[in-house]
Order: sequence, then C-alpha cells, then structure tokens
Amino acid sequence: MPVTRQLLRPVSISFILFSFALALLINLLPWQAKIANLAPDFVAMMVVYWTLNQPRRIGIATAFILGIIMDVGDGNVLGQHALAYTVVAYLALSRQRLIAVFPFWQQALVVLGLLTLGQTLMVLIQLSLGAAFVGWTYFVGNVLAAVLWVPLCNLMLSHQRKPVTVNL
Amino acid sequence: MQSNQPAFFKQGPKPLTRLLVFSVLSLALVIGDARYGMLGRVREQVSIMLYPLQWLATAPFAALHSANDFLTRQAELQAENRQLHDAQLVARAQEMRLKALEEENSHLRKLTTAQASQPRPSQLAEVLYNGRDPFSAKLIVDRGEQQGVQAGQIALDSRGVVGQVVRVQPLTSEVRLISDRNHMVPVEIERTRMRTVVYGMGRQQMLEIHNLAPNVDIQVGDVLHTSGIDGIYPAGLPVAKVVKIDRQATSFARILCEPVAEIDRHRFLLLLDAPSSRPAYPVEEAASAPAAKKKGR
Repeated sequence: MPVTRQLLRPVSISFILFSFALALLINLLPWQAKIANLAPDFVAMMVVYWTLNQPRRIGIATAFILGIIMDVGDGNVLGQHALAYTVVAYLALSRQRLIAVFPFWQQALVVLGLLTLGQTLMVLIQLSLGAAFVGWTYFVGNVLAAVLWVPLCNLMLSHQRKPVTVNL
Repeated sequence: MQSNQPAFFKQGPKPLTRLLVFSVLSLALVIGDARYGMLGRVREQVSIMLYPLQWLATAPFAALHSANDFLTRQAELQAENRQLHDAQLVARAQEMRLKALEEENSHLRKLTTAQASQPRPSQLAEVLYNGRDPFSAKLIVDRGEQQGVQAGQIALDSRGVVGQVVRVQPLTSEVRLISDRNHMVPVEIERTRMRTVVYGMGRQQMLEIHNLAPNVDIQVGDVLHTSGIDGIYPAGLPVAKVVKIDRQATSFARILCEPVAEIDRHRFLLLLDAPSSRPAYPVEEAASAPAAKKKGR
C-alpha cells in the first residue's frame, strides 16, 4: 500500500484464504463464452495483491497451488496456470519493496504488465501443445483488471483500516 | 553466517530458488499431463476439493432459473403445453413407423449376422459451466464417476451431438464440444450417403470438412449425421449442417458447417452409455486400421 499516515490492523490468515476463495468463486462463475475473455482473472489479481502486501506469508508456493486449482477447475492442461502464477508471484516479490509503496494507479500499470506476461506464458504453453492462437481479445481482461485495481485495493484495505478516532 | 542470523531474517529458500523449483514442477506437470496423461489422481483429488466452490458458483444461477420458471405466465405455459402436445403427436406417429422399421431392421441384421445397433440407455446431466480458458471448448457437467459416467460417452441435446466425455472426476466430468480444435466426428452426408469426417476448428468457430475435391457432390443445407463406423458415435445422430462451400479456395473445397445442436446455449445434456465392445480388427488389416480410428482426446 502507498505510504499513509494511517496505521493498519494486521491481516488474519483466514481473511487471506477467504479472499482467495472468493476470487476462485468469481473465476468459476458460468461466464458466457462471448464475454469470458473480458472477465479479469481475479485469482491472479489476488496473488499479486497479497504478494505485495503480505510477502512473508503469501508467495510463490501459494501462487503455484492456486494455479493447480484453476487448471483443474477449467479442465486445462495441468500446470498452465501454475507456471503463469508462479512467475507473476516471483516478479512481484522480487520488486516488492519498490512496488508496494507506489500509488495505486501506478501499481495498476504494474499489474497490467504482470498479468499480460502471465497470459503470454499460457499462450506459449498452449501454442507449444499445438493449439491455435485465440486472438488478441484474450488480453482485454487484463486492461479491465488494471482498471479495477484501484477500487479493489481500497476495498481490501477498508477491512484493515481502523475507524478514525477524533478526540484522543 | 547463515546460522548467526536472528530468526526474523530466516525466510526459507530464496525467491529465485523457489521460482526455479516451482516453474520446473509446473513444466513437468504440463508435459506429464499433456503428453502422458498420468495425473488423473491429482486432478481427482483437487476436483473433489473444488466441488463446493463449483456448486456455490452455479447455485445462484440455477435458483434464478427455477424462480424464472416459477413466475412464467400461464398463457405462456398454455402455449408451450399445446406445442408440446402437438410435438408428441407427431413423435408418436413417427414412433409407430420407427417400430416397424426397427423390427424389419433387426430381422435383416439377423439375416446378415451383423452387429445390431441397439438403442442405448442414457442419463441426463446438467451443465455447471463452460471452461474459462478460450483455448479449449469444454463444458463441465454435474455427473461424475459416482453416477456411472465413463470417458468416451457421447453428449447430446434435443437436436444433435454436442460432444464427448473426455475426463471423468468423482462428482463432475468434462465434455469436449465438437467445435473443439481437432475434434473429429465421422459423419455421413444424409443426401448422398457419402462418408467423411468433420473437424472442429476451435471455440466459437464453424466446423469444417477437409480434403474433399472441389467438384464433390455437396450442397449448402446438406445435413451431416454420424456414420457409426468408428464404434464410438452411434450411427444416425445429426451433427452439423453445411452453411458455406468455397470450391475455389485451394485444390480442396473449403466446406464450413454449423453444429445442429445448440452448442453454447443448453442447460441439460443427455449422456449416452459407452459403446458395447466390438470384435477386434482382423489381423491382416491391422496396418490400415489406425487410419479409420477417430477418437477425441
């Protein structure tokens, strides 16, 4: 989170797990095939969010496990999402101290880059397995993810913000 | 040096090491799954874990559907009722003819001692959701191993072939649509009885027939139904309709077809039971046999 004067409450591990479960739930919703590409990958967004904000708890191993779960849920080749999330989590982790203090709109640009890279990896895996390229609309969801990043961060932080006490 | 550090600084292996470990593991999984298909157990375990989430994600929509059904107006129901009644009358008339034909057919088959193509039992499955990944055209349905679903079963809707069950998990299974890339269905053109194969070209795309000469006898509007020679798809199920023919494309005609079934619109699918075992190929024909073997996977 960007530098603020506010003190934040600690995050409980159950809240992190709950947020991941919710993201999985959204990803598993019965999206219509026509708009499925427009839907941002919420699991990847949560991976980036918690890697930036709780780097000592959430990292590459969590990303890998979530990737496996996504692969099974989608009926994909096992390991496709796992590899993408692993690399995304590593890149977020390696510059965590820098990115974590960016303002949210700058983080959104980083998220756009990270998710696009992750999807490019998935495209490469699928192409190497003999699939055809699915067109550039595949990447549109990432732009939406970047747009949603600021409200998402504020929403997640609202859980941690203390109610402001006026008279001390 | 490492041992002197306070506990706070100990964070396990470096991120780079973890990245290498997990990415190598992922690539191993990709290769193991795609090339050798040896991760069925892992998939099963994860899918059991995932089932509550899958259920939770789809339950509100199912509830919405049923609420919708409940609130349908009476006039609509009456109209639908009448329509169904008419349809049933037509179907009954056809059934009578069918029975006579079936009898005649079984009689003829007895004469030739060929394998009978008996109607097969089936079960109904509800579509949970379609896979989010645009690379594969798959549906996840709510019947699995525990309900007796097997890989290789054929999925139909009320109009025609939808796809084939390719992977079975304890509570769910995956249906590969006929539009999935490189999915093949052996078909027969209803009008001319010519046998050919129709290929899926990818999600949201038309089916195609490859490798037919430009002067082949096929017209826009021709219906293709399964030929049954593969032993997986039973004969006579409608698959697709020809919508466009380009005879000047290359040295082969380019024939585009549209699935007869409403591939991306249905909620319920019929899963036909797995095919009965067939006699093995004669040994001397073994060399030419693989060319005729079409199986989606």
